[in-house]
Formats: sequence, structure tokens, C-alpha cells
Amino acid sequence: MITLGLQEKNTLLAEVNQRSGANVLECYQCGKCVSTCPVSQYMDFPPREIIQLVKLGQRNEVYMANSTWFCLTCSACSGRCPRQIEIPAVMEAIRHLAIEENYVNDSTKVKEIRKFHEIFLDMIKRYGRNYELRMMAEFNIRTRNLFKDMHLAPKALLKGKIPLGVKPMKSAKAIRRMYQLAEKLEKKHQ
Amino acid sequence: MKKVTYFPGCSAHGTSEEFDMTVKMVMKSLDVQMEEIPDWNCCGATSAHSLSETLAYALPLRNLVLAEKLDNATMAIPCASCYQRLKVTKVHMDDNPELARKINSTVIDEGTYKGKVAVKSMLQYCYEDIGLEAIKSKVTKSLAGMKLACYYGCLLTRPKNITHFDSPEYPMSMDHIVEALGAKATEFDYKTECCGASFSISDTEVVINLSSQILEMARESGAHAIVVACPLCQSNLDMRQPDIEKHTGKKINLPIFYFTQLMALAFGMSQKDMMFNKHIVPVEGALANIGKIEPEPEKVKKPRKAVEAESEVE
Repeated sequence: MITLGLQEKNTLLAEVNQRSGANVLECYQCGKCVSTCPVSQYMDFPPREIIQLVKLGQRNEVYMANSTWFCLTCSACSGRCPRQIEIPAVMEAIRHLAIEENYVNDSTKVKEIRKFHEIFLDMIKRYGRNYELRMMAEFNIRTRNLFKDMHLAPKALLKGKIPLGVKPMKSAKAIRRMYQLAEKLEKKHQ
Repeated sequence: MKKVTYFPGCSAHGTSEEFDMTVKMVMKSLDVQMEEIPDWNCCGATSAHSLSETLAYALPLRNLVLAEKLDNATMAIPCASCYQRLKVTKVHMDDNPELARKINSTVIDEGTYKGKVAVKSMLQYCYEDIGLEAIKSKVTKSLAGMKLACYYGCLLTRPKNITHFDSPEYPMSMDHIVEALGAKATEFDYKTECCGASFSISDTEVVINLSSQILEMARESGAHAIVVACPLCQSNLDMRQPDIEKHTGKKINLPIFYFTQLMALAFGMSQKDMMFNKHIVPVEGALANIGKIEPEPEKVKKPRKAVEAESEVE
């Protein structure tokens, strides 16, 4: 539910602006971003509405929306924005804030998108590089969708489109250390 | 001889081996020596910046720091996503020394970031540093007869204040390169639309929907094939094409080439090394058009110029 408390200070607006380096107050709601966005039809609130909700300080609506997870960061919107607002940076700032404040959108789609990113980061932590075949297999296992894309497998594997192995880094240890230090930095930040 | 630092990216050892292979062949022929960053790591791609601001900068920063040890002025990156992550990191680190120090502390064993290497995509490097004339001079087997739709995707030219390369709406650099090879670039309005990128695995429906529009528009432009400069664009448009044909009920049958594969072809190199056998959509039909020049009635055509984003805004 959207609540308007005019006496309250809009802390969300300040946080999103500070994180993204954008000024969402510049937005005059023309909607060019919505018509440009290739995935706005999948979003609970298209970019224009997300920005308006930030202006109104609607933390819960903004954090729980699937919009920030569907944003492809293709920057088509910001390229056409007459107010030059870096909308993908705004989307990203909101996503990071929501993760840090433990807001979880538990729709199947968002859960799958998030799982994919977690598996990807896990691969890098283990090998220092992405291991495509293993990533696809783990995604299927961890989303309990074992046969997804299996029809592509015979052709893709036979033709060598997706190789069976990976050349791991020599110093994958450096990446594990980076992960630990990054986690510490982010904890301090909060 | 020119020297350049090379960052292959993970897909060079995976789905885009043919891109890596042909980049190496073409650069050798153009007398460019490529030095690979020793023990480079994954740039973090979409996933790192989706979940963690620190890792999104730290993973590319390690590569930027290692690249500085090679002492070349420029780094060239074939993958559009790697290019974008490294370039974004470079721009933000250069703008904000305090942030740079903070992120640098996670990879301090590798060294201190100084910001002295320019980051370019392989397309940009070919267009700006090698140049059309040098490319033209190496052509021994013209691609005349082939009509190609050049597809740039989102990350090579956008956002403009990060990439500072070509037009974010209607880029022409790749069109000029394929025309230097003798082929004809078609007028293709979807050249910077997004293919669905990393949703390839996590939400295939989005990729099928977005990529099908790109393929249909390329077909309508009269192209025999699509040319790309990004591994994820290639695999979405090529590997998902049978699914897209099933979904839309329309036959598309457009092979998806890397621009370096076509350069190698025009430079007269052996087709075996271009790894056309890895393509899911067979390439033979499109390649058969080389040399078949249809007599076109002479018509006066307005040259199409790249559209600048600002001029549209105002």
C-alpha cells in the first residue's frame, strides 16, 4: 500500500541519489524510459513509476518490486532520457539497498534470476573464471528444473559450442581473498 | 609493429572460442602483437554488479592492475560485457580516488591501480587504432555479394559517457568495417536493441522475445547473415535461433558471425581455422552469396549518418 506522510523525511530519496550518483528529482515523468525499455512489460513498476515511488519515499514498494531484477542495464533508457538521469544506476542502487536491508522478493522469476547470479559468483569464487557448462547444470539443479535447455545439449556439446572443461586460474586463491575482503568492506559500509 | 594488451574473458575459452581464435589470426596478419594479461580473472559480468557493488569493481580492478604491468598504452577486449565492466570500473576509479583506494585494498597484493591503460573493445580497437585503410589493404578475397546486418547490442556504445565510442542509437563502425571487406551493410534499425543478455539461462522467455525481434528485423533488412562483436549476442541469436523459429513459427535461418571471422575470411585465411563448424545455424548458405553480385538498378541513396543522442534529446 502506498502511504503518504508529508511530515516524514524522505530518507529513501537521499539514499538512492547518493548511491546512484543520479538526481531522481530531475524526472518530469515523460515516460520515454518506459517506451524504450525492452523489458518494461515484465516489470511490476516500469522505470518511470519506480522513480516516482522513490520521490514519494515508498521504500517497501520500491524494494519489493521485481523491476530492479529485470533491468538489463542496457542503458537504452538513460540514453534517451531528456533529463539525463542514469536510470540503470538508480535501479542498481535500489537493488543493492534492498539486498543489504534483507528485503526478499520471493516470486519464482526473481528467485531464479537471483539464484543465477549467486551461482555465477560462486563459480568465480571457486575457479576465478566462469565455467559455463557447470553453471548451467547447477542452475538446473538448484532451481529444480533438471531438463531446462536439455534439448540444446546434444548439438551444443557435439559441436563444441559449450566446452566440457574450463581453464582455471593459477591464483584462484587471490579471488577467494578478494571475496573475503569485499565482504568485510560491505559490512563496514552498512 | 603495434602492441596491445589482450583480455580474452571467460567465454573465449568457452562459447566464443571462435572469436578468440579469429581475433588472434587477424591481429597477427595486421602486424599487431597481443600480450595476454597473465592469470586474468572473470570480470564478474552482470552477476557481480547485480549483487555486490564492491565485487563489481574489485573483479575488474584486479585485471586493470595486472594490465598496467605489461606497459602497453591500450587494452583490447573482445567480449562486450567484459569491456563494459572494465571500462565502467576504470572511469569510476579515475573519477573517485577515494573509492579506488578502498576497492584496491581487496587486491592490494597485485599492486596499486594507477589508471594508465586505455580500455577499448576489440571493435573500437580495430576501427580507431588499426583503421579501415589497413584492414582494406589486407583483403585478398572480397566478400562482395554478401549483405550483412551489423548488430552491436547494448554494451559496446552505451552508456555514452562511459564508452565514448560511436553512436548509442545508430553506430556505424562495424558497418564500415564489413564494407571495407567488400560486403554490403544493410540498413538495420535494431542494431542497438538488447538481445536479453544474461537472461539466456535465468529467464529464457525474455531472450526468445527480444532476440526474435532482432532476427526478424535483420531478415527484413535483406541481410544474408548478422555480424556481431559480443559473445553473448552471438550465443543468444545463434544457439536460441531454433527455439525462436519454433516459438514464432517462422523460418529465420540467419547465421551469426563474429566480425573477426569475416575479416579472417576476407584476408584469405583457411576456413577451417574460423571454426564455422561450431555454429548452430549453418553458415554455408550465407557464404554462397560471396561473388554473386546481383545487378542492382542505379539509384540515388542518401548516405545515412550516425545519429547523435544529444541532437535527439533537444
